[in-house]
Amino acid sequence: MADKHLKHRSKYTLDRQIPGAFEGETITRRRFMTGTAHTAGAIAATAFTLPALGFAIGPIFKSTPHHWEAVGATGMFSDTNYVPVVLTVSPNIGEAGKTTVYVRKFNPEIDTDPYDKGTPYIAISSRCAHLGCPVRWVDAAERFICPCHGGVYDLLGRRVGGPPVRPLDRFYTRVSGENVEVGPRFSVNSELRRFSPRDPGEPVDGIGQYLYPSRPGAQKL
Amino acid sequence: MPRLPKLPAPPLPPPLREPPPRPGQANGKGGPIEEAMEAGITVVDWIDERTSLSGAGRWLLFRKVPKGTNWFYTLGSATMFAFLSQAVTGVFLAMYYRPDASGGAYESIRYVTNEVFLGQFVRGMHKWGSSVMVILVFLHMGRTFFFGAYKYPRELNWVIGVVLLILTMVMSFTGYLLPFDQRAYWATVVGVNINGTGPLLGPYLSDFLRGGSEFGATTLSRFYAIHMLLLPGAIAALIGAHLYLVAKLGTTAPPWQKPVPRSEELHEAEV
Amino acid sequence: MNQQQKEQYLREYSVLKAQGKPFFPYAVAKDSIMACIVMAVIIAMSLVLGAELGSKANPTTTTYVPRPEWYFFFLFEVLRVIKPPSLVPLATIGVPTIGMILLFLLPFYDRKPERRPERRPIATITGIAVIAAMAYLTYQGANAGSPTAIETPTPTAVVQAGGATRGEFEAGKQVVAQSGCLACHKIGENGNAGPGPNLSHIASRLPRQGIARTLVNPTAPMPSFKNLPPKKFQSIVNFLSQLK
Repeated sequence: MADKHLKHRSKYTLDRQIPGAFEGETITRRRFMTGTAHTAGAIAATAFTLPALGFAIGPIFKSTPHHWEAVGATGMFSDTNYVPVVLTVSPNIGEAGKTTVYVRKFNPEIDTDPYDKGTPYIAISSRCAHLGCPVRWVDAAERFICPCHGGVYDLLGRRVGGPPVRPLDRFYTRVSGENVEVGPRFSVNSELRRFSPRDPGEPVDGIGQYLYPSRPGAQKL
Repeated sequence: MPRLPKLPAPPLPPPLREPPPRPGQANGKGGPIEEAMEAGITVVDWIDERTSLSGAGRWLLFRKVPKGTNWFYTLGSATMFAFLSQAVTGVFLAMYYRPDASGGAYESIRYVTNEVFLGQFVRGMHKWGSSVMVILVFLHMGRTFFFGAYKYPRELNWVIGVVLLILTMVMSFTGYLLPFDQRAYWATVVGVNINGTGPLLGPYLSDFLRGGSEFGATTLSRFYAIHMLLLPGAIAALIGAHLYLVAKLGTTAPPWQKPVPRSEELHEAEV
Repeated sequence: MNQQQKEQYLREYSVLKAQGKPFFPYAVAKDSIMACIVMAVIIAMSLVLGAELGSKANPTTTTYVPRPEWYFFFLFEVLRVIKPPSLVPLATIGVPTIGMILLFLLPFYDRKPERRPERRPIATITGIAVIAAMAYLTYQGANAGSPTAIETPTPTAVVQAGGATRGEFEAGKQVVAQSGCLACHKIGENGNAGPGPNLSHIASRLPRQGIARTLVNPTAPMPSFKNLPPKKFQSIVNFLSQLK
């Protein structure tokens, strides 16, 4: 019915007999003022919302420079057992920015996966790949055990039980002089293929790597 | 000439008469108590003349609650009272708190707990008040659910109530990072990562909450700002809307309560 | 509810309201008394339970057992119960979101005019079931132990034997707890249910030698414990062969 009504109406205000209409005018002054009020209000509201929003989500896009940290002399680490070392991942907040990393020398008998070739040391993160609880290395069982929701990982950090969605994250390592240095973190899928670091709970197998994209700020080495 | 008896003066026309004493002014000057009451009445009158708040007050307070209203109907106001208690104790805790992840946060809470006069008491009230508020919110919702009070015409109020329930849970979640002890830290790590497991948007949401890809210097201040500025404002505004709708639509009667005297008449109307 | 039912409700409600009492002071008096009770409870809890402050946040810990505040235990337990990794997003985001959406939309899919709980059996039973499930999950979550502690009571046979047997049993309990067995096995109320079998009554299924053999030569994915010091190995076998 509304359409029918519109059909009969001319778009010129003059034709619609509106008092004070000008030749060729298509919008009434009332409609123009209503539109102005809405637009001006929207611009004013956006003017404080957008900067605030950008301010809040800005840090997502900030990329952090890679940083390498010496964690101990090369002689400290064996190729059959892990040694926990403390690493700074978030500078300027003291103790709260550190994390524990389990380090072991590369062992060609255990680390048979092609992706590990050329890695001098295996450094495994202590953050559970389920939701980030602190896993502990239990030497007797040769397992990483998570105290929260029952995640269990084997010697290489691959999941053996519980809900974790991918193996434990790892860190790049290199030898500099006498020292072992640990660099940025990366995630691995169940075949130990490397991916840019993800948060716990985000699978990287199959479609998972696209459903949980890596962040603009986090780059692979 | 004999003096004529003096005639009584004619009564003054009403506009010239002295106004009759107002209540409280009975004998010209009253005692100090009467004067104080008078001053109070004057102030209230002055405000009411300029705001017309007395109408709103009458509307809010002297509306009727239906027959059969019982103690179950106090759960909502009890929840609001717990919120007020949280707001007040929270303001005073904020006077001592420093959202500083490098040690200041924990130190300031330790200081409040151990050194400040009544510090442990006020912090305890805030901490346990959150538990009490969560319980009361759930009880209030349970009452509304089992009494069918979310049905017509109160659907919108139920929706607002669910938002308030969620905000209360988010409030308690953001609150317990602030002491920055072990439980606080790990619960936050897990909570933020739970947000990260949402496909596509999850990773960005957890980055937004942390203010970066790792738990960093701004994470604590983010949680602090959300906990003490964003959420209390939202909760207070929604409580206002919730209350307005309660007053406008009226509280429900218990579902078993039937209008007794006119029930037959109503049954006829049904047929 | 159709238009007629809506009008009927409004009519009945206006009668009930007309028969009611003013909000002030009758309902306000109850509200105020309730507010006093709420404050009394909060103050009593604050005085009795205090405000403990745990040890300072330490992201480098490998021994801390994180647990949430009690009112999140049910969510915590959901995360523990839903084991397959592919269902993790369901446990973390899916179940809570679905629950919230169902809660939000309740007045829009439950549109019948009936309000009495005994005449709304589906709603009432669902409500009670949800409350029971949340209570059960909260209870389970509250009792979820550490993966490196066993709280099973010592069997009466061992207690009666006393002396060295009991000492060995307690020592074995320690070793088993710290060797990570609970990661894959359940012993009493502790440990994870899977991938390994429940060990609470292992001795009634396997003889002593069988337990020792399995520990040395397990089926994958269980690791071999043959590299343990002999004393610790004996402790484990001792402990497990007492679990009848």
